[in-house]
Amino acid sequence: MRYIPTTEKQKEKMLKDIGVSSFEDLIKSIPQSLRLKDKLNIPEAMSESELEDNIFHIAKKNADFYSMKPLIGAGSYRHFIPEAEKFLLQREEFWTCYTPYQPELSQGTLQSIFEYQSYISRLIKMEVVIPSIYDGASATAEAALMSLRLTHKNKIIVSNLLHPHYRETVKTYLAPHETEIIDLPYKNGLVDMEKLKILIEEDAASVIIQSPNFFGGIEKISEISEIVHSKGALLINVIVESMSLGILKAPGEMGADIVVGNAQSLGMDLNYGGPYNAYLGTRKQYIRQIPGRIVGETVDVDGKRVFVMTMRAREQDIRRERATSNICTNHNLNVLASNIFLSLMGTEGLYQISLLNAKSAHYLENLLLKSGKFEKVLNYPFYNEFLLKSKEDVSTVNKKLLENNFIPPLKICEFYQAENLNNVLLFAVTEVLSRDNLNLVAKILSE
Amino acid sequence: MKLIFEKTVKGRDGYSLPQDLFDDIRIEECLPEYAINKGKKLLSEVSEVDVVRHFTKLSKLNYGLDDGIYPLGSCTMKYNPKINEKLASLGNFIYAHPLAPEETVQGCLEIIYDLNKLLCEITGMDEYTMGPAAGAHGELAGILIMRKYFVDHGDIRHKMLIPDSAHGTNPASAAMGGFQVVEVKSNEKGTVDLEELAKLMDEDTVGLMLTNPNTVGLYDEGIEEIEKIVHGKGGLLYYDGANLNASLGIIRPGDAGFDVVHLNLHKTFSTPHGGGGPGAGVIGVKKDLIPYLPTPNVTFNSNQKKYYLSDTGEKSIGMVRAFWANFSVLVKTYTWILSMGPDGLYNTSETSIINANYVLAKLKKYYKPAYDRYCGHECTVTGREYKKYGVKTLDIAKRIMDYGMHPPTIYFPHFEPYAEETIMVEPPESESKETLDKFIDIMIKISDEAKTNPELLTTAPHNTPIRRTNDALAIKRAILTYDDELKLKDELKYQEKDIDF
Repeated sequence: MRYIPTTEKQKEKMLKDIGVSSFEDLIKSIPQSLRLKDKLNIPEAMSESELEDNIFHIAKKNADFYSMKPLIGAGSYRHFIPEAEKFLLQREEFWTCYTPYQPELSQGTLQSIFEYQSYISRLIKMEVVIPSIYDGASATAEAALMSLRLTHKNKIIVSNLLHPHYRETVKTYLAPHETEIIDLPYKNGLVDMEKLKILIEEDAASVIIQSPNFFGGIEKISEISEIVHSKGALLINVIVESMSLGILKAPGEMGADIVVGNAQSLGMDLNYGGPYNAYLGTRKQYIRQIPGRIVGETVDVDGKRVFVMTMRAREQDIRRERATSNICTNHNLNVLASNIFLSLMGTEGLYQISLLNAKSAHYLENLLLKSGKFEKVLNYPFYNEFLLKSKEDVSTVNKKLLENNFIPPLKICEFYQAENLNNVLLFAVTEVLSRDNLNLVAKILSE
Repeated sequence: MKLIFEKTVKGRDGYSLPQDLFDDIRIEECLPEYAINKGKKLLSEVSEVDVVRHFTKLSKLNYGLDDGIYPLGSCTMKYNPKINEKLASLGNFIYAHPLAPEETVQGCLEIIYDLNKLLCEITGMDEYTMGPAAGAHGELAGILIMRKYFVDHGDIRHKMLIPDSAHGTNPASAAMGGFQVVEVKSNEKGTVDLEELAKLMDEDTVGLMLTNPNTVGLYDEGIEEIEKIVHGKGGLLYYDGANLNASLGIIRPGDAGFDVVHLNLHKTFSTPHGGGGPGAGVIGVKKDLIPYLPTPNVTFNSNQKKYYLSDTGEKSIGMVRAFWANFSVLVKTYTWILSMGPDGLYNTSETSIINANYVLAKLKKYYKPAYDRYCGHECTVTGREYKKYGVKTLDIAKRIMDYGMHPPTIYFPHFEPYAEETIMVEPPESESKETLDKFIDIMIKISDEAKTNPELLTTAPHNTPIRRTNDALAIKRAILTYDDELKLKDELKYQEKDIDF
């Protein structure tokens, strides 16, 4: 076997050196009654070329996604990824190494994480950034748990415009704690402020909102934070489309206490839903309750600046059942991807791409409204995703788009069952759609 | 080495933008004032060349699996085949949107569905869920399934039994799942003390989380007894699959009576660790627990010959993440299993067990084993006898680096009186006899150095990119971003003698 260098002859020699006559002597402690009697019933080993043929064949059963442009986001956004990032990521020193427990042999990983923490801290204006929790949904759940620990309260108010998968995940994580979870309704595509004022009382640990929200709407975070703080609760702001951070005001500046972000837009492929990554930012005063790993700067015995995993006394391998989270392996390679991506983009590049996403989305919305085939159902400011009601049946619309190599927008009724959302589509636009592409979309849908 | 921020030259750039920036659209007319940031957020300003050199240089400060042996116990640092990476990065996979219409993602769904069946056969379980992103994430999902099962049966239980040799994630996950953790002591053989287990297992206990072989690398020969004790009180048996590399084609957790299993695909199934993920922590269950699996799952309609994403029903614990799975990790797992076939999987476990016992046999004269018996795919020795020379196990590990190798896991597991100053070596099947011999020689040489020149060890490493770190200072200063560093520099008024930036 090409991945197993030891030959049968070497195995014999090794068994002899161990002092046994057969392999069986080594596994005597496994009860005979439980042993497998037959070979595993799985396909026989394939050669590398057979394997390629086989997987190519399966991949072909997908649509030819390489040449298709998405009009859908809803938590997963196709942005352009520079080749330099993909190339650097694959260096084996990054790709094949383990969690950096031994700082002497992992400064590459550790410094990269530190740089990423620094970038995200500037984008969201938070002092502390946990670089990696599996994804936006699980990170939101971790933030919810963190707010319970910080406030010693057991009630959470969750915006209805938080990504439905994130809401579901929060519920799953909180189930054992019997936390009261209250739905916060929306009004005209944004958090309903009046309802928030009524719902929030002194017993709430936190309020979770998303901005830009699931409909793409940009929430008035400062106003929300005033209401939330007036009752002593914490505000958790979730960002699902992190590309928006290039031009939007940082949530940390507007009173958010915990900021959770899906980092997929920052240099990660769609990959049918994962692996992505999420960051969690907060203030230094809350540092003892943060989940997950964080990297800090220190010196080595020669006085050289170096980086180490730090504040580890909160973690599962030390604190066991009293840890702030069970998280161990996370998504560090995705952290590196984002770090390289942000380094390539730089100050100006991220600003420009972020701006372009917003502009081209507004361009498409305008074209579709002008076509007379769509109308606005809710009126709110948006970043790069927006809702439009189609006069034609949405299934027909989506079929036309698919035939023309566009991944169709989300039928919002799959997630929201309000009457005015019937036959409504959630469009997403990113910089991978050119003006020609957008004009074509409008043309197809005007016919 | 300099940070990317310190390489910034104002006006330099590394991006490429489309020609058409939609200058005809005015952003002020699209977005309200409260939304837009004043000015640009400062990142870095470097060229693509700078970026490529920066990260190439950073990579050279790391030690990877392709550099040599990485014998971390309980981590299964095995070779990551290159073909897996190519096949996982096919355009039809990486550009597949998770909410694209089902008819456009039949290939992705087929892989998820088929992998589910393969893993069921390999482990003897009835159904898998692919959602969990890592081992600990799988543990949490598995524990929530157990919880839901008991709640559904109107049988509210509060405790979870966990051996003292378990990974830290086990008790942490059990606590997140709302259970009180009760520790089960190991016996003089290094395995679960059956008498104590029988005493502790009661009708207020959901079950036992067990790693087998355990973290000392020992098969629990009492597994049949354990199964009887736990099931006898109506409990469930949870299998931590971190150490599955010793079992392929030999024994299946499902046949041994386990009800829930999590597998770390980034361990046994060869997907890369990436400096700490992404991996995948899929879980398998027995028939009775299928209704509680996280939602959704992939089903196949044989009439229509189509795969679907299906809701698992109202008993499901719900979603544990956004979307469906760490899909690219699944593709790599799938390709690895198909490359190995049934004989290759058996060979994997056979070789890794022989490797670990070979290392143990050769080292035991120099490093006292935690338990003197044959081990599974990893062995645990100790550095106890070098304490009298002023040498700690940590020093031994650091000295290994000077010889160009990654050290084994140290100080884990830790339980008295057997497992102290532990050195846990896991030499997976992808390490050759020659590599093991070299590792063994170095370990023996270091044991000699410990007696004759202990200072060489206590001051090690000497030949690595950096040397031992001041971890207490990291906590005290709490410099977690470049801006923290700038602030500190300001406060210290650039006292370079304090810190060499």
